[in-house]
Amino acid sequence: MIYFDSAATTLQKPPAVSSAILNALKSQASPGRGGYRAAAEAAETAFSCREMASELFHVSKPEQVILTFNATHGLNLAIRTLVKQGSTVLISGYEHNAVTRTLAAIPDLKLRVIDTPLFEPEQFLRKAELLLTRDVDVVICNHVSNVFGYALPVYPLSRLCAERGTPLIVDASQSAGVLPVHLDELQAAFIAMPGHKGLYGPQGTGLLLCARDAEPLLYGGTGSYSRLQTMPDFLPDRLEAGTPNIPGVAGLLAGMRFVQEKGIDTIANYESGLAASVADGLQMLPGVRVFRGKKPGLQTGVVSFQVDHAGCEELGEWLGKQGIAVRAGLHCAPLAHQTAGTTEVGTVRASFSAFNKKTETAHFLAVMKRFCSAR
Amino acid sequence: MIYYLIMCRSLTYAQRTAHALERAGITAQILRSPVSISPSGCSYCVKLTGRNLHKALEVLNRAGLPHLGIFVGSGDDGYREVDL
Repeated sequence: MIYFDSAATTLQKPPAVSSAILNALKSQASPGRGGYRAAAEAAETAFSCREMASELFHVSKPEQVILTFNATHGLNLAIRTLVKQGSTVLISGYEHNAVTRTLAAIPDLKLRVIDTPLFEPEQFLRKAELLLTRDVDVVICNHVSNVFGYALPVYPLSRLCAERGTPLIVDASQSAGVLPVHLDELQAAFIAMPGHKGLYGPQGTGLLLCARDAEPLLYGGTGSYSRLQTMPDFLPDRLEAGTPNIPGVAGLLAGMRFVQEKGIDTIANYESGLAASVADGLQMLPGVRVFRGKKPGLQTGVVSFQVDHAGCEELGEWLGKQGIAVRAGLHCAPLAHQTAGTTEVGTVRASFSAFNKKTETAHFLAVMKRFCSAR
Repeated sequence: MIYYLIMCRSLTYAQRTAHALERAGITAQILRSPVSISPSGCSYCVKLTGRNLHKALEVLNRAGLPHLGIFVGSGDDGYREVDL
Protein backbone atom coordinates (compact mmCIF):
# COMPACT_ATOMS: atom_id res chain seq x y z
CA MET A 1 0.00 0.00 0.00
CA ILE A 2 1.08 3.56 -0.70
CA TYR A 3 0.21 5.58 2.37
CA PHE A 4 -0.64 9.24 1.78
CA ASP A 5 -2.69 9.93 4.92
CA SER A 6 -0.01 11.17 7.28
CA ALA A 7 -2.00 14.31 8.15
CA ALA A 8 -4.30 11.90 10.01
CA THR A 9 -1.64 9.56 11.42
CA THR A 10 1.84 8.70 10.24
CA LEU A 11 1.64 4.96 9.65
CA GLN A 12 5.30 4.29 8.93
CA LYS A 13 7.33 4.94 12.07
CA PRO A 14 11.05 4.82 12.75
CA PRO A 15 11.97 1.29 13.98
CA ALA A 16 13.09 2.77 17.33
CA VAL A 17 9.46 3.68 18.08
CA SER A 18 8.11 0.12 18.20
CA SER A 19 11.23 -1.06 20.08
CA ALA A 20 10.72 1.63 22.71
CA ILE A 21 7.03 0.74 23.07
CA LEU A 22 7.80 -2.95 23.47
CA ASN A 23 10.56 -2.27 25.97
CA ALA A 24 8.27 -0.06 28.06
CA LEU A 25 5.51 -2.70 27.98
CA LYS A 26 7.92 -5.31 29.26
CA SER A 27 9.88 -3.38 31.85
CA GLN A 28 8.19 -0.16 32.92
CA ALA A 29 5.40 0.26 35.47
CA SER A 30 3.62 3.41 36.71
CA PRO A 31 5.71 6.55 37.16
CA GLY A 32 5.36 8.18 40.54
CA ARG A 33 3.58 5.23 42.09
CA GLY A 34 6.45 3.29 43.65
CA GLY A 35 10.12 3.32 44.64
CA TYR A 36 11.09 0.16 42.76
CA ARG A 37 13.07 -0.04 39.55
CA ALA A 38 10.21 -0.55 37.08
CA ALA A 39 8.45 2.57 38.45
CA ALA A 40 11.70 4.56 38.38
CA GLU A 41 12.29 3.58 34.73
CA ALA A 42 8.78 4.67 33.80
CA ALA A 43 9.35 7.97 35.61
CA GLU A 44 12.59 8.45 33.68
CA THR A 45 10.77 7.81 30.38
CA ALA A 46 8.14 10.44 31.19
CA PHE A 47 10.78 12.94 32.28
CA SER A 48 12.95 12.32 29.20
CA CYS A 49 9.89 12.88 27.01
CA ARG A 50 9.20 16.21 28.72
CA GLU A 51 12.85 17.23 28.38
CA MET A 52 12.99 16.30 24.69
CA ALA A 53 9.78 18.23 24.02
CA SER A 54 11.18 21.22 25.96
CA GLU A 55 14.19 21.20 23.68
CA LEU A 56 12.27 20.76 20.41
CA PHE A 57 9.59 23.33 21.22
CA HIS A 58 11.61 25.84 23.27
CA VAL A 59 9.83 25.34 26.58
CA SER A 60 11.79 26.64 29.55
CA LYS A 61 10.85 23.96 32.11
CA PRO A 62 9.93 20.28 31.57
CA GLU A 63 6.98 20.49 33.96
CA GLN A 64 5.30 22.82 31.45
CA VAL A 65 5.01 19.83 29.07
CA ILE A 66 1.80 17.91 29.76
CA LEU A 67 1.36 14.36 28.47
CA THR A 68 -2.05 14.09 26.84
CA PHE A 69 -3.99 11.45 24.89
CA ASN A 70 -3.96 13.49 21.66
CA ALA A 71 -4.18 17.10 20.46
CA THR A 72 -7.93 17.20 21.08
CA HIS A 73 -7.34 16.44 24.76
CA GLY A 74 -4.77 19.25 24.96
CA LEU A 75 -7.07 21.69 23.16
CA ASN A 76 -9.92 20.83 25.54
CA LEU A 77 -7.65 21.53 28.53
CA ALA A 78 -6.56 24.87 27.07
CA ILE A 79 -9.99 25.98 25.89
CA ARG A 80 -11.76 24.92 29.09
CA THR A 81 -9.19 26.92 31.08
CA LEU A 82 -9.46 30.16 29.14
CA VAL A 83 -12.92 30.22 27.57
CA LYS A 84 -15.88 30.66 29.90
CA GLN A 85 -19.62 31.13 29.44
CA GLY A 86 -20.18 34.39 27.56
CA SER A 87 -16.55 34.76 26.42
CA THR A 88 -15.67 36.40 23.11
CA VAL A 89 -13.34 34.19 21.09
CA LEU A 90 -11.53 34.95 17.85
CA ILE A 91 -10.59 31.93 15.72
CA SER A 92 -9.14 31.32 12.28
CA GLY A 93 -11.41 30.09 9.52
CA TYR A 94 -9.35 26.92 9.28
CA GLU A 95 -10.04 25.34 12.68
CA HIS A 96 -10.66 21.64 13.16
CA ASN A 97 -13.67 20.25 15.03
CA ALA A 98 -11.29 19.70 17.97
CA VAL A 99 -11.60 23.46 18.46
CA THR A 100 -15.04 24.30 17.05
CA ARG A 101 -16.97 21.51 18.79
CA THR A 102 -15.24 22.27 22.08
CA LEU A 103 -16.24 25.91 21.72
CA ALA A 104 -19.79 25.00 20.68
CA ALA A 105 -20.22 23.20 24.01
CA ILE A 106 -19.64 26.43 25.97
CA PRO A 107 -22.85 28.45 26.45
CA ASP A 108 -23.40 32.00 25.21
CA LEU A 109 -20.13 32.18 23.33
CA LYS A 110 -19.51 35.11 21.03
CA LEU A 111 -17.45 33.77 18.15
CA ARG A 112 -15.56 35.79 15.55
CA VAL A 113 -13.95 34.08 12.58
CA ILE A 114 -11.01 35.29 10.49
CA ASP A 115 -12.52 33.84 7.33
CA THR A 116 -10.05 34.99 4.69
CA PRO A 117 -9.18 32.99 1.55
CA LEU A 118 -6.63 30.21 1.36
CA PHE A 119 -2.93 31.06 1.08
CA GLU A 120 -3.47 34.79 1.68
CA PRO A 121 -1.61 35.47 4.94
CA GLU A 122 -1.58 39.27 4.52
CA GLN A 123 -5.36 39.34 4.20
CA PHE A 124 -5.58 37.08 7.23
CA LEU A 125 -3.49 39.44 9.35
CA ARG A 126 -5.40 42.52 8.19
CA LYS A 127 -8.69 40.94 9.20
CA ALA A 128 -7.20 39.66 12.48
CA GLU A 129 -6.15 43.19 13.31
CA LEU A 130 -9.69 44.44 12.71
CA LEU A 131 -11.40 41.69 14.69
CA LEU A 132 -8.99 41.57 17.63
CA THR A 133 -10.62 44.28 19.68
CA ARG A 134 -10.40 44.77 23.44
CA ASP A 135 -13.43 42.63 24.18
CA VAL A 136 -11.84 39.49 22.72
CA ASP A 137 -10.97 37.16 25.61
CA VAL A 138 -9.05 34.47 23.71
CA VAL A 139 -7.59 33.88 20.24
CA ILE A 140 -7.33 30.33 18.86
CA CYS A 141 -5.38 29.61 15.70
CA ASN A 142 -4.50 26.52 13.75
CA HIS A 143 -0.83 26.66 12.73
CA VAL A 144 -1.46 24.58 9.59
CA SER A 145 -4.81 23.62 8.09
CA ASN A 146 -5.26 19.85 8.15
CA VAL A 147 -7.30 20.06 4.94
CA PHE A 148 -5.12 22.27 2.75
CA GLY A 149 -1.69 22.32 4.40
CA TYR A 150 -2.00 26.12 4.51
CA ALA A 151 0.55 27.47 7.00
CA LEU A 152 -1.22 30.34 8.73
CA PRO A 153 0.81 33.38 9.86
CA VAL A 154 0.71 32.36 13.49
CA TYR A 155 3.94 34.15 14.51
CA PRO A 156 2.79 37.64 13.39
CA LEU A 157 -0.63 36.86 14.90
CA SER A 158 1.05 35.99 18.21
CA ARG A 159 2.82 39.37 18.23
CA LEU A 160 -0.53 41.08 17.68
CA CYS A 161 -2.03 39.09 20.58
CA ALA A 162 0.93 39.98 22.81
CA GLU A 163 0.57 43.69 21.96
CA ARG A 164 -3.10 43.59 22.89
CA GLY A 165 -2.66 41.32 25.91
CA THR A 166 -4.98 38.60 24.58
CA PRO A 167 -4.07 34.98 25.34
CA LEU A 168 -3.42 32.75 22.32
CA ILE A 169 -4.00 29.02 21.93
CA VAL A 170 -2.19 27.38 19.01
CA ASP A 171 -3.25 24.08 17.46
CA ALA A 172 0.03 22.61 16.24
CA SER A 173 -1.50 19.31 15.09
CA GLN A 174 -0.12 19.63 11.57
CA SER A 175 2.99 21.66 12.31
CA ALA A 176 4.72 19.85 15.18
CA GLY A 177 7.65 18.06 13.58
CA VAL A 178 7.49 19.94 10.26
CA LEU A 179 7.62 23.65 11.15
CA PRO A 180 9.31 25.52 13.99
CA VAL A 181 6.90 25.54 16.93
CA HIS A 182 8.52 27.61 19.66
CA LEU A 183 6.57 28.36 22.82
CA ASP A 184 8.95 31.16 23.85
CA GLU A 185 8.74 33.02 20.55
CA LEU A 186 5.02 32.43 20.03
CA GLN A 187 4.26 33.69 23.55
CA ALA A 188 1.17 31.50 23.40
CA ALA A 189 -0.71 30.57 26.55
CA PHE A 190 -0.98 26.99 25.29
CA ILE A 191 0.16 24.93 22.31
CA ALA A 192 -1.49 21.54 21.71
CA MET A 193 -0.13 18.81 19.47
CA PRO A 194 -0.63 15.10 18.81
CA GLY A 195 2.15 12.55 19.13
CA HIS A 196 0.97 10.35 16.27
CA LYS A 197 1.43 12.64 13.25
CA GLY A 198 4.64 14.57 12.58
CA LEU A 199 6.29 13.43 15.80
CA TYR A 200 6.04 9.76 14.72
CA GLY A 201 4.77 8.50 18.08
CA PRO A 202 1.90 6.05 18.50
CA GLN A 203 -1.81 6.90 18.54
CA GLY A 204 -3.08 7.86 21.99
CA THR A 205 -0.26 10.30 22.69
CA GLY A 206 -0.05 14.08 22.62
CA LEU A 207 1.49 17.09 24.30
CA LEU A 208 0.17 20.32 25.72
CA LEU A 209 2.79 23.03 26.20
CA CYS A 210 1.73 25.41 28.96
CA ALA A 211 2.98 28.93 29.50
CA ARG A 212 0.51 29.38 32.35
CA ASP A 213 -1.54 27.41 34.87
CA ALA A 214 -4.53 25.45 33.66
CA GLU A 215 -7.68 23.88 35.02
CA PRO A 216 -7.88 20.07 35.13
CA LEU A 217 -10.35 18.15 32.98
CA LEU A 218 -9.81 14.89 34.84
CA TYR A 219 -9.55 14.40 38.58
CA GLY A 220 -7.83 11.54 40.36
CA GLY A 221 -4.57 10.12 41.59
CA THR A 222 -1.29 11.78 40.65
CA GLY A 223 1.16 10.07 43.01
CA SER A 224 1.54 13.38 44.84
CA TYR A 225 -0.13 15.15 47.81
CA SER A 226 -2.47 12.19 48.15
CA ARG A 227 -4.00 13.26 51.46
CA LEU A 228 -5.51 16.30 49.77
CA GLN A 229 -8.86 15.93 48.03
CA THR A 230 -8.09 18.65 45.51
CA MET A 231 -5.79 18.32 42.53
CA PRO A 232 -2.23 19.54 43.15
CA ASP A 233 -1.75 23.20 42.26
CA PHE A 234 1.42 22.61 40.22
CA LEU A 235 2.21 21.27 36.76
CA PRO A 236 2.37 18.66 35.39
CA ASP A 237 0.53 16.84 38.20
CA ARG A 238 -2.47 19.20 38.08
CA LEU A 239 -3.36 18.09 34.55
CA GLU A 240 -2.25 14.45 34.62
CA ALA A 241 -4.68 12.41 36.73
CA GLY A 242 -4.45 8.63 36.48
CA THR A 243 -1.81 6.29 35.16
CA PRO A 244 -0.18 7.67 32.03
CA ASN A 245 0.30 5.75 28.79
CA ILE A 246 3.97 4.97 29.40
CA PRO A 247 4.47 2.65 26.37
CA GLY A 248 2.99 5.43 24.24
CA VAL A 249 5.17 8.05 25.88
CA ALA A 250 8.24 5.88 25.25
CA GLY A 251 7.25 5.62 21.58
CA LEU A 252 6.66 9.36 21.37
CA LEU A 253 10.08 10.02 22.88
CA ALA A 254 11.69 7.78 20.25
CA GLY A 255 9.70 9.55 17.53
CA MET A 256 10.82 12.99 18.72
CA ARG A 257 14.43 11.80 18.80
CA PHE A 258 14.02 10.75 15.15
CA VAL A 259 12.66 14.21 14.27
CA GLN A 260 15.51 15.91 16.09
CA GLU A 261 18.16 13.74 14.44
CA LYS A 262 16.71 14.14 10.96
CA GLY A 263 16.03 17.84 11.44
CA ILE A 264 12.71 19.64 11.18
CA ASP A 265 13.87 21.69 8.17
CA THR A 266 15.02 18.58 6.30
CA ILE A 267 11.69 16.83 6.93
CA ALA A 268 9.70 19.94 5.99
CA ASN A 269 11.60 20.48 2.73
CA TYR A 270 11.28 16.84 1.75
CA GLU A 271 7.54 16.63 2.45
CA SER A 272 6.67 19.96 0.84
CA GLY A 273 8.78 18.90 -2.17
CA LEU A 274 6.68 15.75 -2.53
CA ALA A 275 3.50 17.81 -2.17
CA ALA A 276 4.66 20.31 -4.80
CA SER A 277 5.49 17.55 -7.30
CA VAL A 278 2.07 15.96 -6.75
CA ALA A 279 0.36 19.35 -7.12
CA ASP A 280 2.32 20.01 -10.34
CA GLY A 281 1.35 16.61 -11.76
CA LEU A 282 -2.31 16.89 -10.78
CA GLN A 283 -2.61 20.35 -12.33
CA MET A 284 -1.65 18.86 -15.70
CA LEU A 285 -4.64 16.50 -15.62
CA PRO A 286 -7.95 17.52 -17.17
CA GLY A 287 -10.72 18.48 -14.76
CA VAL A 288 -8.53 18.52 -11.66
CA ARG A 289 -8.59 21.49 -9.32
CA VAL A 290 -5.62 21.66 -6.95
CA PHE A 291 -5.50 23.86 -3.85
CA ARG A 292 -1.98 25.19 -3.53
CA GLY A 293 -0.08 28.21 -2.34
CA LYS A 294 1.49 30.45 -4.98
CA LYS A 295 4.46 31.44 -2.85
CA PRO A 296 6.93 29.08 -1.17
CA GLY A 297 6.51 28.51 2.55
CA LEU A 298 2.72 28.71 2.52
CA GLN A 299 2.03 24.98 2.25
CA THR A 300 3.34 21.94 4.09
CA GLY A 301 3.27 18.33 2.81
CA VAL A 302 -0.50 18.29 2.35
CA VAL A 303 -2.37 18.71 -0.95
CA SER A 304 -6.13 18.83 -1.38
CA PHE A 305 -7.77 18.48 -4.78
CA GLN A 306 -11.08 17.89 -6.53
CA VAL A 307 -11.94 16.25 -9.84
CA ASP A 308 -14.82 17.60 -11.90
CA HIS A 309 -17.97 15.47 -11.64
CA ALA A 310 -16.25 12.93 -9.39
CA GLY A 311 -17.38 12.54 -5.79
CA CYS A 312 -14.49 12.89 -3.37
CA GLU A 313 -15.49 9.89 -1.26
CA GLU A 314 -15.93 7.75 -4.40
CA LEU A 315 -12.51 8.79 -5.70
CA GLY A 316 -10.94 8.13 -2.29
CA GLU A 317 -12.48 4.68 -2.25
CA TRP A 318 -11.33 3.97 -5.81
CA LEU A 319 -7.79 5.03 -4.95
CA GLY A 320 -7.95 2.72 -1.91
CA LYS A 321 -8.77 -0.15 -4.25
CA GLN A 322 -5.70 0.78 -6.30
CA GLY A 323 -3.60 0.45 -3.13
CA ILE A 324 -3.31 4.18 -2.41
CA ALA A 325 -4.51 5.47 0.97
CA VAL A 326 -5.78 9.05 0.92
CA ARG A 327 -8.41 10.91 2.92
CA ALA A 328 -11.60 12.25 1.36
CA GLY A 329 -14.52 14.35 2.53
CA LEU A 330 -14.55 17.17 5.08
CA HIS A 331 -11.62 15.94 7.20
CA CYS A 332 -13.39 16.82 10.49
CA ALA A 333 -12.94 20.49 9.56
CA PRO A 334 -16.21 21.81 8.08
CA LEU A 335 -15.25 25.36 9.00
CA ALA A 336 -12.10 25.13 6.86
CA HIS A 337 -14.20 23.93 3.91
CA GLN A 338 -16.72 26.70 4.50
CA THR A 339 -13.93 29.29 4.48
CA ALA A 340 -12.35 27.83 1.35
CA GLY A 341 -15.71 27.35 -0.41
CA THR A 342 -15.45 23.56 -0.66
CA THR A 343 -18.17 22.53 1.79
CA GLU A 344 -20.53 21.12 -0.84
CA VAL A 345 -18.25 18.40 -2.16
CA GLY A 346 -15.23 18.32 0.15
CA THR A 347 -11.80 17.43 -1.18
CA VAL A 348 -9.46 14.49 -1.61
CA ARG A 349 -6.32 14.97 0.44
CA ALA A 350 -2.89 13.46 -0.08
CA SER A 351 -0.48 14.04 2.80
CA PHE A 352 3.10 12.91 3.12
CA SER A 353 5.66 11.88 5.69
CA ALA A 354 9.43 11.52 5.79
CA PHE A 355 8.98 7.86 4.77
CA ASN A 356 7.25 8.45 1.44
CA LYS A 357 9.26 7.95 -1.74
CA LYS A 358 9.31 9.86 -5.02
CA THR A 359 8.45 6.61 -6.80
CA GLU A 360 5.22 6.52 -4.79
CA THR A 361 4.18 10.00 -5.87
CA ALA A 362 5.01 9.09 -9.50
CA HIS A 363 2.84 5.98 -9.24
CA PHE A 364 0.01 7.99 -7.67
CA LEU A 365 0.12 10.49 -10.55
CA ALA A 366 0.04 7.67 -13.09
CA VAL A 367 -3.02 6.19 -11.39
CA MET A 368 -4.72 9.58 -11.29
CA LYS A 369 -3.96 10.07 -14.99
CA ARG A 370 -5.66 6.76 -15.69
CA PHE A 371 -8.69 7.84 -13.66
CA CYS A 372 -9.00 11.18 -15.44
CA SER A 373 -8.44 9.68 -18.91
CA ALA A 374 -11.16 7.10 -18.43
CA ARG A 375 -13.79 9.74 -17.76
CA MET B 1 25.79 7.41 58.29
CA ILE B 2 24.22 10.83 57.91
CA TYR B 3 22.26 11.69 54.78
CA TYR B 4 19.98 14.48 53.65
CA LEU B 5 16.58 14.43 52.01
CA ILE B 6 15.71 17.40 49.81
CA MET B 7 11.93 17.58 49.72
CA CYS B 8 10.39 18.30 46.30
CA ARG B 9 6.84 19.26 45.43
CA SER B 10 6.50 16.77 42.58
CA LEU B 11 8.20 13.85 40.92
CA THR B 12 9.13 16.08 37.98
CA TYR B 13 10.80 18.59 40.33
CA ALA B 14 12.62 15.74 42.06
CA GLN B 15 13.82 14.55 38.64
CA ARG B 16 14.99 18.04 37.68
CA THR B 17 16.75 18.35 41.05
CA ALA B 18 18.47 14.97 40.74
CA HIS B 19 19.53 15.67 37.14
CA ALA B 20 20.98 19.09 38.06
CA LEU B 21 22.93 17.54 40.92
CA GLU B 22 24.19 14.63 38.83
CA ARG B 23 25.37 17.07 36.16
CA ALA B 24 27.37 18.84 38.87
CA GLY B 25 28.96 15.54 39.89
CA ILE B 26 26.85 15.02 43.03
CA THR B 27 25.31 11.59 43.46
CA ALA B 28 21.58 12.00 44.02
CA GLN B 29 18.83 9.42 44.40
CA ILE B 30 15.12 10.05 43.93
CA LEU B 31 13.00 8.49 46.69
CA ARG B 32 9.40 8.56 47.77
CA SER B 33 9.36 10.70 50.89
CA PRO B 34 8.96 8.94 54.25
CA VAL B 35 5.36 9.38 55.46
CA SER B 36 6.51 10.93 58.75
CA ILE B 37 7.90 14.00 56.97
CA SER B 38 5.33 14.23 54.21
CA PRO B 39 2.18 15.64 55.83
CA SER B 40 0.23 16.04 52.58
CA GLY B 41 0.65 12.42 51.55
CA CYS B 42 2.76 10.97 48.75
CA SER B 43 5.67 13.14 47.69
CA TYR B 44 9.22 12.86 46.44
CA CYS B 45 12.63 13.76 47.75
CA VAL B 46 16.21 13.55 46.62
CA LYS B 47 18.71 11.78 48.88
CA LEU B 48 22.27 13.08 49.29
CA THR B 49 25.16 11.89 51.37
CA GLY B 50 26.22 14.18 54.19
CA ARG B 51 29.23 15.81 52.59
CA ASN B 52 27.47 17.25 49.60
CA LEU B 53 24.70 19.40 51.06
CA HIS B 54 26.41 22.78 50.84
CA LYS B 55 27.52 22.28 47.24
CA ALA B 56 24.12 20.83 46.32
CA LEU B 57 22.30 23.89 47.63
CA GLU B 58 24.55 26.14 45.58
CA VAL B 59 23.80 24.09 42.45
CA LEU B 60 20.04 24.19 43.07
CA ASN B 61 20.11 27.88 43.79
CA ARG B 62 21.94 28.57 40.54
CA ALA B 63 19.48 26.38 38.60
CA GLY B 64 16.49 28.14 40.20
CA LEU B 65 15.14 24.89 41.63
CA PRO B 66 13.21 25.51 44.85
CA HIS B 67 12.71 22.83 47.49
CA LEU B 68 10.20 22.31 50.27
CA GLY B 69 12.74 21.80 53.06
CA ILE B 70 15.63 19.55 53.91
CA PHE B 71 15.66 16.76 56.45
CA VAL B 72 18.63 14.99 57.94
CA GLY B 73 18.43 11.29 58.65
CA SER B 74 20.82 8.89 60.32
CA GLY B 75 19.66 5.33 60.54
CA ASP B 76 17.02 4.60 63.17
CA ASP B 77 16.67 8.02 64.74
CA GLY B 78 14.05 9.34 62.33
CA TYR B 79 14.32 12.70 60.59
CA ARG B 80 14.99 16.21 61.72
CA GLU B 81 14.39 19.29 59.61
CA VAL B 82 17.55 21.22 58.86
CA ASP B 83 17.50 24.87 59.80
CA LEU B 84 19.02 26.61 56.79
